Amino acid sequence: MNAWLTAAPILIPMLTAALCMVAWKHPVVQRGLSLLGSIALVAAGGALLSIVLNQGIQVVQMGAWAAPFGITLVADPLSALMVLIAAVMGFCVALHALGDIDPVREKGGHHAVFQILMTGVCGAFVTGDLFNLYVWFEVMLISSFVLLSLGGLREQIDAAIKYVAINMVATACLLLAVALLYGVTGTLNMADLSIRVPEVPNQPVISAIAVLFIIAFGMKAALFPFFFWLPATYHTPSVAVQAIFAGLLTKVGVYALMRVFTLIFTGDSGWTHGILMVMAGITMIVGVLGSLAARDLNRAWSWQVVAHIGSMVMGLAIATPLALAAAAFYMVHDIIVKTNLFLGAGLVRRLAGGSTDYARLGGLFKTAPWLCLLLFVPLGSLAGFPPLSGFWGKLLLVRAGLETEHYVMVGLLLVTGLLTIWLVGRVWAEMVWKAPAEPPAMAISTLSFGRTYLLILPLLLLSLITVSIGLQPERLLNLAGQVGHSLTDTSAYVQAVLGTTPSPQPTLLGALETEAMP
Amino acid sequence: MILTAILAIILAAAVAPTLNRLLPALSHWVLALVPLSAALWFALQVPGVVAGVPVLETASWAPSLGVALSFRLDGLSLLFALLICGIGAFVVIYSGGYLRGHPREGRFHLFILSFMAAMLGLVTADDLISLFVFWELTSITSFMLIGFNHEDARSRRSAIQALLVTGGGGMALLAGLVLMGMASGHWTLSAIAASGADLRAHVLYPAMLVLLLLAAFTKSAQVPFHFWLPNAMDAPTPVSAYLHSATMVKAGVYLLARLNPTLGGTEPWFWALTLAGGVTALWGSAMALRSTDLKKILAYTTLMALGVLVLLIGIGSDGALVAFAGFLLAHSLYKGALFMAAGSVDHGSGTRELGELGGLWSKMPATGLFIAIAALSMAGLPPLLGFVAKELIYEDVFRNGHMVALAVLLLANAAMVATAATLFLKPFLGAPTKAAGHAHESGPALLAGPAVLAGLSLLFGLWIALPQGLLGATADAVRGGAPQSLNLHLWHGLTPALGLSGLTLALGMALYFGLSPVKNSLAAIQRLTRIDHDRAWDCLLSLLQGTANRITSALQDGVLQRYLAWIFAGILLLLGATLVMRGGFTWPGIRLDGDDGLGIVLALLMLGGTAGAIRARSRMEAVLSLAITGMSVALFFLLSGAPDVGITQLMVETLSTIILVLVMAKLPMLPPGPDRSRPAKLFHSVLALGIGGVVTVILLAVLDQPLAMDLSRFFGDTSLVEAYGRNVVNVILVDFRGFDTLGEITVVACAGLGVFALLRARMGKGGQP
Amino acid sequence: MEVIMALAVGGMVAGAVYLILSRQYLRVMFGVILLSNAVNVAILTVGRLTTGNPPLIAQGTEVMDHAAANPLPQALVLTAIVIGFSLLAFALVLGYRAYQEMGTLDTSAMRVAEPEEKP
Repeated sequence: MNAWLTAAPILIPMLTAALCMVAWKHPVVQRGLSLLGSIALVAAGGALLSIVLNQGIQVVQMGAWAAPFGITLVADPLSALMVLIAAVMGFCVALHALGDIDPVREKGGHHAVFQILMTGVCGAFVTGDLFNLYVWFEVMLISSFVLLSLGGLREQIDAAIKYVAINMVATACLLLAVALLYGVTGTLNMADLSIRVPEVPNQPVISAIAVLFIIAFGMKAALFPFFFWLPATYHTPSVAVQAIFAGLLTKVGVYALMRVFTLIFTGDSGWTHGILMVMAGITMIVGVLGSLAARDLNRAWSWQVVAHIGSMVMGLAIATPLALAAAAFYMVHDIIVKTNLFLGAGLVRRLAGGSTDYARLGGLFKTAPWLCLLLFVPLGSLAGFPPLSGFWGKLLLVRAGLETEHYVMVGLLLVTGLLTIWLVGRVWAEMVWKAPAEPPAMAISTLSFGRTYLLILPLLLLSLITVSIGLQPERLLNLAGQVGHSLTDTSAYVQAVLGTTPSPQPTLLGALETEAMP
Repeated sequence: MILTAILAIILAAAVAPTLNRLLPALSHWVLALVPLSAALWFALQVPGVVAGVPVLETASWAPSLGVALSFRLDGLSLLFALLICGIGAFVVIYSGGYLRGHPREGRFHLFILSFMAAMLGLVTADDLISLFVFWELTSITSFMLIGFNHEDARSRRSAIQALLVTGGGGMALLAGLVLMGMASGHWTLSAIAASGADLRAHVLYPAMLVLLLLAAFTKSAQVPFHFWLPNAMDAPTPVSAYLHSATMVKAGVYLLARLNPTLGGTEPWFWALTLAGGVTALWGSAMALRSTDLKKILAYTTLMALGVLVLLIGIGSDGALVAFAGFLLAHSLYKGALFMAAGSVDHGSGTRELGELGGLWSKMPATGLFIAIAALSMAGLPPLLGFVAKELIYEDVFRNGHMVALAVLLLANAAMVATAATLFLKPFLGAPTKAAGHAHESGPALLAGPAVLAGLSLLFGLWIALPQGLLGATADAVRGGAPQSLNLHLWHGLTPALGLSGLTLALGMALYFGLSPVKNSLAAIQRLTRIDHDRAWDCLLSLLQGTANRITSALQDGVLQRYLAWIFAGILLLLGATLVMRGGFTWPGIRLDGDDGLGIVLALLMLGGTAGAIRARSRMEAVLSLAITGMSVALFFLLSGAPDVGITQLMVETLSTIILVLVMAKLPMLPPGPDRSRPAKLFHSVLALGIGGVVTVILLAVLDQPLAMDLSRFFGDTSLVEAYGRNVVNVILVDFRGFDTLGEITVVACAGLGVFALLRARMGKGGQP
Repeated sequence: MEVIMALAVGGMVAGAVYLILSRQYLRVMFGVILLSNAVNVAILTVGRLTTGNPPLIAQGTEVMDHAAANPLPQALVLTAIVIGFSLLAFALVLGYRAYQEMGTLDTSAMRVAEPEEKP
């Protein structure tokens, strides 16, 4: 049972996607499938996390081949946490898409491709094999290509050109990095790598390969100087796609960095983590400045995605248990808030007649006071206002940074925080307070009842999560603490993957494999 | 119970909008009951606290971070709590009257009660992090309140300004408190004080001091962070009365007082506080004399008072701290009364401009009376509480011989006398103006607050023994250490302090009657200061904005080519630096043997194809060159014992070429002429050769290492026996690493969907510009 | 042999980088094709090269000859080739659509998503 559960985050969305393709001609069926699949994924994610917390790290050897020979799936606290949070985002965005998605996009396969994206994201979180990680990154990448361009608006196509070109370079870097690492260790299993990498006679070459991984994952995570694809594209696709991209895509890159730079590349941390630190610092500042320069809500949020990637990577670069816990906590917070912000911006655009230029927005306080209350949660959390989730993330990072005497980084973090407050204050003043330049294109009440709920419910759900993390942070703090410890002491991970104790039901996926055989 | 009080006020805030809709005329009276009962509860704690037994409370919050919602009520906290809830209750009543019929009255109560809860939490919190949480909450709620008239662009600007200044202070506070917690190892104020850890000797003391002072000075509008406070007067009068006189701006003062036992008493502390306080006091008084808008005048006198309070903490002697407590109380009472009464004047006469006010006494006698009493207290005349406070200040500062401070205080107090006279004499006793013609007295909601606060100013002055215990406890809390007995009197006899008071009065009246030359000279100062601050603020922001715009448009300029150049430059820099800094790369000896001849030929073909693709001027030329490379790669695979890979490569190469050619048929020719400019060519060549070189070097270093073959051995050994396949590569693909193949199939399927969607799923025509 | 291939890979990467830095989308795609070829050669090369014997288990034996070529990199390359091809196909069709929408394949002239700031 547990073995199934570890593979479920990949299998559920994959199956959902397959069924959606079967029901190609019936968008209504696809909607139902998408929703059901998303709910199932949330359930699986929740169950997986609780099992990991109660019974320890879960490992499945796919095809029953013992590690390091086959492909291993591993759910440790970080993986399980990420799966659950991704699943919740998937659910919220799927729900929102039901009310928002354009029929053309729906007929173009939105639901199927969305589920493929979730497959890739979850695959990246649970795989314990480096080449397999590359494969899931590719699944994620191709589905993001499709989702980005789906609908074929001119600006989407333009954005997709840049996105595709840059990401194909990133992909080549990742593949090369994996190949080189194989070339010195002879293995692809991450736990096995963590044992073999320190034994490589020529350690400088390991440092070089590690830096290549920083580059490859840094491009996925949108770190300076590799982030350009993000602000160029995130404002162009449908709201649902924007939201899921902003929530998850870059964080998979951060997750991958966290995984390999705690498990595999720890030998030359003065150099590798130093590079990460510098990149994180510049990313924060450049990101927040970009968000101030943007005049469009969606583009400002895109830059904010960049800025806060810097915060998470700062936690990784400091690499104490507290700092890693901070990074994990911050990641959860940020995923929720960014998804919420983009969903909210979509709603605002709907109300303002297609514009998210915030000089042209206004009057939301008068026309939709409840929506303002709802929007205040992600905005405030973004700014790190207590007692919302962002505050705890900031507190953890500040403490982790000060404890390790990274004063400059803490300073940059706080300056970024202050500039974010400026942005939030400005957005609030323009969007909510100011009298609108032109009367609102539509009132929320003109939407059909059901549709209103589909659009608002995800916002409400995400805001509730943000508030409850803020008011009752202990559960997540505790969990993040476990993540921090499991990332600094990886022996349990390695033991679980390579250990002599066989995994509970080793023959499980053999059946599935034979089906795939011709 | 403290937490309950806070939660009750939050609850009141939450129901305020609904209540206002249900009971538009009564809701403020009902809502005021909540802070009033809280004030009552706090009042009941006075005897215990004065006896030296603080009220303690703790609720668990985030134990894994050592954060708890812990509260502690000592003299200082209690005095503040009483002011917050007491004045707060009257402000709630007052704002109900002031905003009667305003469509957003309910929302206003929501914000002001939320603010009250935050403020109450701030002054009672014992836990460092809780303190910070409440501190930030006051900033956010005050943002909402300052921007209450949000259709007005000036209000919005002021709100953002206040948010940014106090928000910046908040950032400093966070870092400062975390440093304090780390340095002492304790996360509550009482534990830090009790532990006896001497933070003043800690290596991080200067950092802590700077950060925490920054927080306090921004919040309490000390020069040079004072400029936001007068602007914040754009808020409705009840907000000014509450936030900007009695409570929020005193949060910084509270913080300083609270930290005095642990961080105070050092040279830097003394100089920072006395300097900032003194300058602020002088500047505030000068500006108060200069202004003509009632609310602006009051805002500036508030600055003066904040400066004096900070100055007194800085001096830090026993007497100064008693004076601090006394002046804190006196100022909150008279300033609250004055703000509310000024609002009443505005409400009744329609203007707050001094020039338009006159002869109101007959029309608004009650308002006039309360202003008179409060102004007398402000001027420091007996028998009001302000007099007692001023005597205490003079007495101590004189005794300790801080002559510069004394001069500052003398000037500031004289200015207060003149301002007090200005506030009352002309508007009420001067010749009636047009505004006085239609003026009318305000209702009970507007007058309740001024009446009670002015009354208390008088009562406490006459019966100083009543607040004496609490004032003593406050001073004890600020001083830290054992309580000291206190014996206050209205009449001290003929002391130097009394002489100084007389001097103040004389100087003040001289200022009042000789105001115009003073005003003129102050005008010059104001011109300077205006330029200095508000415009400097705008410059700072536009500088920041400009920097943001410039950096952003330099980086994110919309041109893919430059994005890629940045990326490749980053790759080259990072890898190159690693190679240089980490070393360890040796050039492997090239040993050619018989088979290598073919390899060299293939490599040359690959490179030739590459060069051809670069040099190609036409598309077909490029495609053919690429095909040469692709075929050589396929041949290389075939010859390296990888027939499956070679054949696949061959097929894919063919397919790619076909698709390329098919797509190209629909695409334009490559433009004639060179592909890029000469400098670009050079730069790109450097990047290309650099990256190619770096990759080669790393690859060679990798190849120089031994490779463990155990995985492949295992595959070779088990492929047939356990997985029943003779082609090991195929067995790996479908069995050992079948999961990769699953992903790969997903990619192929998704790409198919994508191509379909690109060609078919198109919304509208063209899209938006 | 490996050293030669390492040099060839470097050369192809350099060429690919140069092409990708072009303003013409088609040249960028040529660069991408080259890059993926280069990486595929690199994968096989880091598995160490032998000439001749493919990793097959001959009839009559139960295990693979240890002198045969390393099978694992071959499997990886196969996966990578297919994935790379899928991405490339999508990217090419995208180029076609871009030309349809914007009338150009000069990426510097594609300024719909990020229009030039009005002064």
